[in-house]
Amino acid sequence: MPVYSVSRRRALALLALSSILLITLDLQGNSIVDGVRRAFGTVFEPIQDSARVVTRPIENAWRGITDYSDLEDENRRLQDLVDQQEGAFIAALATARDAQELLALNGIDDLTEISSITAQVVGGAPSNFSQTVEINQGSRDGLRVGMPVVNAGGLVGKVTQVFSARSIVLLANDATYAVPVQIINLPEATTTTSTTTTSTTTTTSTTTTTTSTSVPSSEAPPLGLATSVVDQSTSSPAPSTSVASIITAAPASTVSPPSAQTSTTINIDNLPATEIGALRGRGPDQPPIVEFVEQSSRFGEIRVGAVVITAGGSKSLAPRGIVVGRVVKIVERPGTAGAILEVRLSARLTSLNFVRVLLYQPAVSE
Amino acid sequence: MIELLNRPVLRLVLLGFVALALQTTLLADMTLDGVVVQLMLCLSVAAGVSGGSERGALVGFMFGAMFDLVLSTPLGLTALVYGLAGFVAGYVNSLTANHPWWLGSIVVASSTALATFVHPIFASWVGVDGWLTLRVVQVAGVVAAFNAVLSPLAVPLMRWALVIRRRARLAPPPEIFL
Repeated sequence: MPVYSVSRRRALALLALSSILLITLDLQGNSIVDGVRRAFGTVFEPIQDSARVVTRPIENAWRGITDYSDLEDENRRLQDLVDQQEGAFIAALATARDAQELLALNGIDDLTEISSITAQVVGGAPSNFSQTVEINQGSRDGLRVGMPVVNAGGLVGKVTQVFSARSIVLLANDATYAVPVQIINLPEATTTTSTTTTSTTTTTSTTTTTTSTSVPSSEAPPLGLATSVVDQSTSSPAPSTSVASIITAAPASTVSPPSAQTSTTINIDNLPATEIGALRGRGPDQPPIVEFVEQSSRFGEIRVGAVVITAGGSKSLAPRGIVVGRVVKIVERPGTAGAILEVRLSARLTSLNFVRVLLYQPAVSE
Repeated sequence: MIELLNRPVLRLVLLGFVALALQTTLLADMTLDGVVVQLMLCLSVAAGVSGGSERGALVGFMFGAMFDLVLSTPLGLTALVYGLAGFVAGYVNSLTANHPWWLGSIVVASSTALATFVHPIFASWVGVDGWLTLRVVQVAGVVAAFNAVLSPLAVPLMRWALVIRRRARLAPPPEIFL
């Protein structure tokens, strides 16, 4: 059995203590540690870029071998989705403009007023535990730590480290990610008579319902939610429907006769109130949860399928109105602990390519 | 210049940068069932196998600290875990007089698996929650298997980096004289 001398024990103890000291300093937010990180990042950046250029062919070959069939399937699925979205997009444009006008009338900030930068995801997480991606924009492009990152699906995460030409984005499913959110129950749909314009092509059927209503300032609909819903087959939204596409179009493969379509309009008086909670990631194999939900009697019971958006506010790093996802499960807890809501994120974090960094900083940040 | 290259510290720094560059580019994207292969950990435990527990701990600490500097996790956490893994690998390897290549692979695999289990536990101690899930078992299995395959290359590489001569390599580990 090996025996260790006192000096060796001291050396090993010194290493352990150094680690603990570094952890403590970093968790306390030490400026020297931050400086060392930045300096190391600056030195390491060109080496990493060179390595990326050299290893790109190997990486591409690996992806070609392992992901070919998956890519083919995904391509087919995305093509179907594009066909569907084309119709929905036209309808959404009209309602989005209405919503923006209402927001402007009531002096409420609008996501479209926030400048953003498009970035490409150039690297995955080098660790098995932290959920991060690397993007090809950095401080010279105006990025700062804490800025929210989104894609077409919704919230992706936030910027946690910024170097001159690249940044690290902490994904929303990371265990250390948290953001205040609002939960919005979808309103009960009521069928009414309204002006309906139907345009049918050989591949896509799109129906647009226009409503003219006045909205009280306190109950203005959140950005990203339309004021009209077109229901092709059923009054309840299908679980697979994207959060952003409240307005839906018929699938490309089926063309429904106009008589089979029912227009359903949301009664503005019944627009739902919102609940505030905190979204927290739980790693790649578990859906994020919303906890600390402030339940109010005016809101009613939270239902599966409720929409989750960022809450904004002076202390939040994300502005109000970014679509996060949908409630897929409600776990009731006894006592005053309140329910925990499991959320399916609307952005697919496993296959990110291009993202948008919102150049947003809350009023209280430096 | 050549004399400078014969110094272990310089070789380790160069090797560390190359390994870290591969870890954050190629290996970060070439995942096996969602699991990222850990080259820095492999080299840390290989240092323990080739140079003994003390060198394993030192190299593990150094490589772990370099990895920490590019991660969003607290600085020192990976250094602590990799240092421990290098130490354990060197200690276990010193328990036997003969060192066939396959024994090195087993030591590398077991030390890697241990480090992968210990990492989320240490993380939860310092307040980083959510890492300790059943997925750790899958991650430990994949990373340990890959590192075992890689060890016949990693162990000689670390012997070169630590400037361990053939005579010193064939001699019994220093621990048994103490």
